[in-house]
Amino acid sequence: MANFLAQFLSIKNSCERVVIAVEDVSDLWPLVKKGFEERLPIRRATLNNKTRNPVYVDNLPAEFILTTDSRLRSRFPQEQLLFSFREPYATVVLVTCEDLDEFKTILKPRLKLIVQNDEREWFIVFVSRAPPHNDQASKMAKKVYAKLEVDFSSKKRERCCKLDMHGPEATFWEDLEFKITECIRNTLDRRIQFYEEEIRKLSEQRFKPVWSFCNFFILKESLAFMFEMAHLHEDSLREYDELELCYLETVNIAGKQRDFGGMDHGDDQAALLNPGKKPLTQIVQDDSFREFEFRQYLFACQAKLLFKLNRPFEVASRGYSFVISFSKALALHESILPFCIREVWIITSCLDLVNATAAHYSNGLVGPEIEKEYYRVRGELYSLCRAKFMRLAYLLGYGSAIERSPVNSASLSMLPWPKPATWPSVPSDASSEVLAKEKMILQATPRAKHFGIQRKPLPLEPTFLLREANRRRASLSAGNIFEMFDGRSNFMDGSTSPSPKLPPTSMSRTNSTPGNFESSIDRPMKLAEIFVAAEHALKKTISDNGLWTSFSSLQEFEKKYLELSKSAAENYHHSWWKRHGVVLDGEIAAVCFKHGEHDLAKKSYEKVCALYSGEGWEDLLADVLPDLAECQKILNDQAGYLSSCVRLLSLDKNLFLKKERESFQSEVVRLAHGDMDHPVPLDVSSLITFSGNSGPPLELCDGDPGNLSVTLWSGFPDDITLDSLSLTLTATSNADEGVKAIRSAGATVLNPGRNTITLSLPPQKTGSYVLGVLTGQIGHLRFRSHGYSRGGPAESDDLMSYEKPTRPILKVFKPRALVDLAAAVSSALLMNEPQWVGIIVKPINYSLKGAVLHIDTGPGLRIEESHAIEMEKYGLEDKNNASVVKEITKLTLTNGSIELPDWASNIESVLWVPVRAINEGLARGTSAGAVSSGRPSVVDGLRTVALKLEFGVSHNQKFDRTIAVHFTNPFHVSTRVADKCSDGTVLLQVILHSQVKASLTIHDAWLDLKDGFALAGQSNGRPTSAFFPLVVPSTSRAGILFTISPGTNDEAKAMNPDTILNIKYKISGDRNLGSHTPMFEDEATQMLTFKSALVLQRPVLEPCLAVGFLPLPSGGLRVGQLFTMKWRVERLKYLDEENNDEVLYEVNANSENWMIAGRKRGHAPLSTKQGSRIEISILCVPLAAGYVRPPQLELPDIGEGNISCNPAGPHLVCVSPPPLSSSFCIPIPA
Amino acid sequence: MIVCIAVVGHQNNPLYIQSFTEADDALKLHHIVHCSLDVVDERVNNPKKSGPMINETFLGLLYPTENYKVYGYLTNTKVKFILVTTDLDVRDADVRNFFRRFHSAYLDAVSNPFHVPGKKITSKTFAERVSTIVKSVSFNTAG
Repeated sequence: MANFLAQFLSIKNSCERVVIAVEDVSDLWPLVKKGFEERLPIRRATLNNKTRNPVYVDNLPAEFILTTDSRLRSRFPQEQLLFSFREPYATVVLVTCEDLDEFKTILKPRLKLIVQNDEREWFIVFVSRAPPHNDQASKMAKKVYAKLEVDFSSKKRERCCKLDMHGPEATFWEDLEFKITECIRNTLDRRIQFYEEEIRKLSEQRFKPVWSFCNFFILKESLAFMFEMAHLHEDSLREYDELELCYLETVNIAGKQRDFGGMDHGDDQAALLNPGKKPLTQIVQDDSFREFEFRQYLFACQAKLLFKLNRPFEVASRGYSFVISFSKALALHESILPFCIREVWIITSCLDLVNATAAHYSNGLVGPEIEKEYYRVRGELYSLCRAKFMRLAYLLGYGSAIERSPVNSASLSMLPWPKPATWPSVPSDASSEVLAKEKMILQATPRAKHFGIQRKPLPLEPTFLLREANRRRASLSAGNIFEMFDGRSNFMDGSTSPSPKLPPTSMSRTNSTPGNFESSIDRPMKLAEIFVAAEHALKKTISDNGLWTSFSSLQEFEKKYLELSKSAAENYHHSWWKRHGVVLDGEIAAVCFKHGEHDLAKKSYEKVCALYSGEGWEDLLADVLPDLAECQKILNDQAGYLSSCVRLLSLDKNLFLKKERESFQSEVVRLAHGDMDHPVPLDVSSLITFSGNSGPPLELCDGDPGNLSVTLWSGFPDDITLDSLSLTLTATSNADEGVKAIRSAGATVLNPGRNTITLSLPPQKTGSYVLGVLTGQIGHLRFRSHGYSRGGPAESDDLMSYEKPTRPILKVFKPRALVDLAAAVSSALLMNEPQWVGIIVKPINYSLKGAVLHIDTGPGLRIEESHAIEMEKYGLEDKNNASVVKEITKLTLTNGSIELPDWASNIESVLWVPVRAINEGLARGTSAGAVSSGRPSVVDGLRTVALKLEFGVSHNQKFDRTIAVHFTNPFHVSTRVADKCSDGTVLLQVILHSQVKASLTIHDAWLDLKDGFALAGQSNGRPTSAFFPLVVPSTSRAGILFTISPGTNDEAKAMNPDTILNIKYKISGDRNLGSHTPMFEDEATQMLTFKSALVLQRPVLEPCLAVGFLPLPSGGLRVGQLFTMKWRVERLKYLDEENNDEVLYEVNANSENWMIAGRKRGHAPLSTKQGSRIEISILCVPLAAGYVRPPQLELPDIGEGNISCNPAGPHLVCVSPPPLSSSFCIPIPA
Repeated sequence: MIVCIAVVGHQNNPLYIQSFTEADDALKLHHIVHCSLDVVDERVNNPKKSGPMINETFLGLLYPTENYKVYGYLTNTKVKFILVTTDLDVRDADVRNFFRRFHSAYLDAVSNPFHVPGKKITSKTFAERVSTIVKSVSFNTAG
């Protein structure tokens, strides 16, 4: 059957459409042809696919061919079977007849003959030519048609239809299409079945020696072709897939030596998308299909179908895997194929694929995921193409133009050199080209990195080309030359493996000089010679002029290289594989940079750097960042350049040498101190980091300044001077509170590594604070750092995780009492004597170091400046152990203030201030038992001391306190007439109440009597001296009796208006408790004198006036009840000095208890005659129930001694509560 | 031959990267590992594509190139292990086995209380253990 191949191919090529045969029985075709052919292609057909499922096919192309046509005649039956795909799929029998008899006798037998062939799918079209107005004719036609239907149609299948030439019948065309479709469907089904059966039979014999792939191929492809004709592309594609699978299985069966192919001119250009590039007959030899061409042919068929199915993305993805797998096949046969055909083929196939798919593809055709995948595959195709392109360029000597970047190194250095059986040798006439290449090699200078960075360039070659090429030299390949050469190469550099220590660029130089091989069999080729040889060989291989042009010069190479890189990057950017895209952008940038397009280069480099730094790939970043910096420098982008320098500095220290890092720093410093047009802010977060010192945060009281110590880590390799530095503090509690900056004064020099700086801190508001931002200036450069370090140098991958420290560095407490000042004693001190006033100074967890106390005494008090102020510890422990001598510090008052000693800064202490309270008035005694208390008021003895304490670190804290100190006389004196003798001598009892918390010792006491009195008995008015000293303990009483007689002599009238009691006493008390011995220099003068005026009453029997309290109403007193209170005043004796017939009276009552109506004060007439009397009455209403003091009548003009109270008024009266009624009802007096 | 093994953190940051080539060309392997993250991302972000692999830590072959192969492995904490090998004929089961051993070495390394999670692995013991594993593994199907 193999000989059918050529025939099959020619048939296949001549056959394009589904054929519909027309059996023109009644010569009607010319009449109806136009109408029939207008119906083509069949708009909508329902066909069955291989699995017998209905498939809708739109616009199925078909062709009407008369059975008498030569194309359908004279075929062999076997041919018809095998190539049945070209046979008619339907037969239309065109008939007409106007006579029933004619039909029966002539037409019917003829039709029977035509349709008896079972293989055919047929139907009859009856054409009625009867004009519409001719009823007779149309009736006849109807009859004939009815007969026709009876004879040829069956219940199962309608095989007739009628076309009325003159009466247009709309349903006819639909009917016709339906019938044609039905026929095609049935025929197709039958033929599929046939082919399947044949293929199955053949497949069963697959492993028999007689089996022929060629037959299988013809059957398979026939079936596929039939599907394709019927527009069942999906099925067709499946057939080709199966065919490919089958081929790959058979082709790899060992033992059968096959011709691979690929040796023809033009084979270097891929035929991936052009199935007709080579006729199949050319590639089949003795039932063996040449792999090189046939696999491409199969792929081309598949691609064609995929494009028809509108699936260009699948062409791309299948294409990529095909290229990869085919490349492997090429590698297996590399030794017999033309030099580098593998690389050239891959380049052309990739380009073909991307171009063809792009032509068929439009965005939005498929879902986004498939679209992304499509772009990814395109990117892969471009980058594969790019790699091979670079490889070829390297072989031609353009290696120095290829950037030795990681991406290029990754794609080239692991890609083996081409392995031709023999390396091409230099043509004899190429010496000038060799010279040119050598010149090119020498001129090529590797691009020096900015900042003087020295890096070993990454390899672009898997092994040294020089060695590889020479190893495969044709002239050396005779005999067992490989072993010989291997031995020699050992001799050459001492190792079989290429030495990695030497950089390839220098390698090429050293080896391009002729070695010591002049004497050997053949001189090894020099690098330039290898390039020239490769160029000549490649020129033979590459048939595509366009591609060859790209290798013709360095400029052309770079143009193509850029184009491929750009396309690859662009496609990757549309896919998921962003990293691939960005990395290629870096390659584009390198080319742009070389061509001086620094702007474009910068943009691309920025993208690459952003990618690497975003994910923390520092090694890769360190490779690109210097390039970016260089671009920025050239473009005078100072901000960018600075930030690049800072980023370079903040990379891992091991990535650069110290020298290089120093040059980064010097660039920063140079720019900072240079003249910048616009001073730029710079973020040095990764370079200068800061943290608070470890340990608890600094704690400050409200309003205190402090010193904040901060650790700074400098990532600079050298010392760096910061012209200014400030740090913000952020309150953790209150976000609204603006951040506050604290500054360090002057310049700071940071050493590399850890530095501790101290910043003075002004008073802050209450709250806790964390470190915010570090800002400062280097030269004109304002920098800023957000970098927090946690007690160690910032690690490189901190770049990604900025963690805000939560640990506060400063705590400012709420305002609280820091100190307390209080009076040391609460009991009274001695009036008019120098006394110690104790002030307790109590620091409350706060140091009072350097505190100053201002003391301001109020009126009536002054500080005894002759004495030093004393200060001592205050505490309980000293009381328990009296033997401990208290440490007393003497302090002096200057300008009303004293400085507290340091020892007292943290402990409670007491300050003793010598003061003297001054009271000019004389103490007055009272008469014992007198109702009205004449005792001196407590207020009189009160003095105040205003204190103001200034303390804190800078005296910023103030504390004000006014303390009250109570002063008093040592005694309160009251007198009483104890007895009265018949001679008028009176025993006067003087009662002394001790007023102080101290023991008083009376050493002497005497009276200076007022006029009208004289001392009786003794001469000096003193009691018996044996009484003295008389000790009066604190708050107790003592009494002294004096005998006095009312005298008559008026000599010293003016001198003694009052009787004065003089007491000489000593006091012994503790100043910690109250009154105490005044401080004297001299112990002997410690005797104190106390004077008190006494009121001496006249003898009781000789008053001038008698005041009597008249009885109260018998019903008792009740709250709210009005009553009249009455006093009777009677003159007992007329006093000359009075000389008045009136008395002044005054009623005093407590207003809380009484409501008084009437004149409270007034003059009442009283006759000067003895015995005259008056009554003073006043209306009173009691306001409070209980025992209350009643209103008192006083006579202010009359001395106390001249009044006799008889009967004496009650001390207290009982007032009943008001009657239980809701309102006061005052009874009307009857 | 395994030329490179890398641990990449869940933010795609390198945690450990070790190359086993003699030449001084680690940077190109950095590049390969970094770019292979594209494939890992794609697989993780497109669960449809990976299908039944969804709960599988072993990601399989990421990168079928002509010259080397890249395999991936994804732990539950989204840490990726990337393996670059120049052996072109590799059985998945061998790689899977290698990753399993590597994973346990990694677990031991990060369980060190002095290791800061998310930071580079600097443990020498880990490095030694990794190189032992790498040396012991042979992907040759013949072997």
